Amino acid sequence: MNTFKKALATAAFVASAAFAGPAFAQEASPVVLSGDVKAVVTSADAEGKETTQLVEPTTIVPGDRLVFGTDYSNTGDEPVKNFVVTNPLPGPVRLAPDADADLTVSVDGGETWGPLASLLVTLEDGSTRAAGHADVTHVRWTLAQIAPGESGRLEYPAIIR
Amino acid sequence: MDTQKLISSLLATSVLATLTLSAPAMAEGVSAGSLIENTATATYEDGEGPKTVDSNTVTVRVDELLDVTVTSQDSTPVAAEPGQEVLTFEVTNQGNGPEAFTLTANPAVAGNDFDTSVTSIAIDTNGNGVYDDGVDVILTGPETTPDLAADEAITVFVIVEVPAGVNDGDISDVELLAEAVTGTGSPGTTFAGAGVDGGDAIVGTTGADSAANGSLVVGLTTVDLTKAVSLLDPFGGTGAVPGTVATFTLTAVVVGSGSLDSLVITDGIPADTTYVPGSLTLDGAPLTDASGDDAGEASDAAGISVDIGTVNGGDSYDVTFDVTID
Repeated sequence: MNTFKKALATAAFVASAAFAGPAFAQEASPVVLSGDVKAVVTSADAEGKETTQLVEPTTIVPGDRLVFGTDYSNTGDEPVKNFVVTNPLPGPVRLAPDADADLTVSVDGGETWGPLASLLVTLEDGSTRAAGHADVTHVRWTLAQIAPGESGRLEYPAIIR
Repeated sequence: MDTQKLISSLLATSVLATLTLSAPAMAEGVSAGSLIENTATATYEDGEGPKTVDSNTVTVRVDELLDVTVTSQDSTPVAAEPGQEVLTFEVTNQGNGPEAFTLTANPAVAGNDFDTSVTSIAIDTNGNGVYDDGVDVILTGPETTPDLAADEAITVFVIVEVPAGVNDGDISDVELLAEAVTGTGSPGTTFAGAGVDGGDAIVGTTGADSAANGSLVVGLTTVDLTKAVSLLDPFGGTGAVPGTVATFTLTAVVVGSGSLDSLVITDGIPADTTYVPGSLTLDGAPLTDASGDDAGEASDAAGISVDIGTVNGGDSYDVTFDVTID
């Protein structure tokens, strides 16, 4: 186990080095994840028609809407399988109410998973209630396979608490 | 194999991190300066077995929202007379970071029957909700609250002087305005670098200023006292002869919109007459002559006295007593 941890630590080191030098990416980790965050700005034109834009989050306050994105790509020569991306929600945000209802989420720190509608929150007195968007602690995406050279983007919308 | 364990342990770490981050969050809005850090982790299998890779961590800082509300704490207009009166307000920092607010009291509100003059603005230092002269700190100009934490509220007193010459029932409003020291403006106005930890400060829906009116209503209350007498002579007439019973009626009418404390109606027994024991009444109900057992007392030497207590504008009281002419 100890040896394994060390090996993993080394792998992680190499992986982070790989971000700096893409030339090593294939050897270290064929999969590259790149995260970003955008703020959603809604503006209305003269006719009152609303348009939304994704902008750099320069000034953000409670109630503002953010979109967290993760770009993935398989830079290797071989397909990768059972590709699972897990994203703990930062504490200061909650999942936006209009998030994809089929998104796999957890409301208990990653213990149990499912669409939000299927999950329950256990209260202090032991009773349960239906989980809401503000209860979500993690979101997760599962892709059976990513072909060599394939890339994509995973996003979830959030609102600052 | 160990991968599952490893993943759980990684998840556990993430959960801890999430909980730590959420700790400083306020009931209404994350504190200014909070960092939002997002990292995704992927697990997958390639030809060589299970692998784990993290994304970079993106970090954004929550900026300072400038919002404030002012509310009057006087549920009904404060009853006022010429002289000092106190209006009570609450100022609440509705933003998500510490902020001080400049206070301005405006006594000249449109529609006023008269205008007061503002003596001072004070903070409820001892937190008892009542202005205590010499205890509650009087602000010096420019009147500014201490830094209020996010969601913190303080009680503010506006001390005004009601001028002489006002009429009963006159009303006057005093407006208290609170403005964020960092700045005010239309919602969305941004003050770069003026927020917590060098972040931006941005004006919220309140415009970072708020005002509320406190009301005064003049209550000038007086008592009109009238005295009447009716005579009944021993022969059934109304002549004033020895043996005639004179019934005096004292009528007290309270005029005005306020109230008065400790109204006592007294009268002497006229010379050459004798009080008829047990004849004292208040509004038709008999009172004893002894003192201390009810509102009234009466004697030949001291005259009559009826302690009515607190009375309100519009009230009316009738006191009667009888004497016989010697």
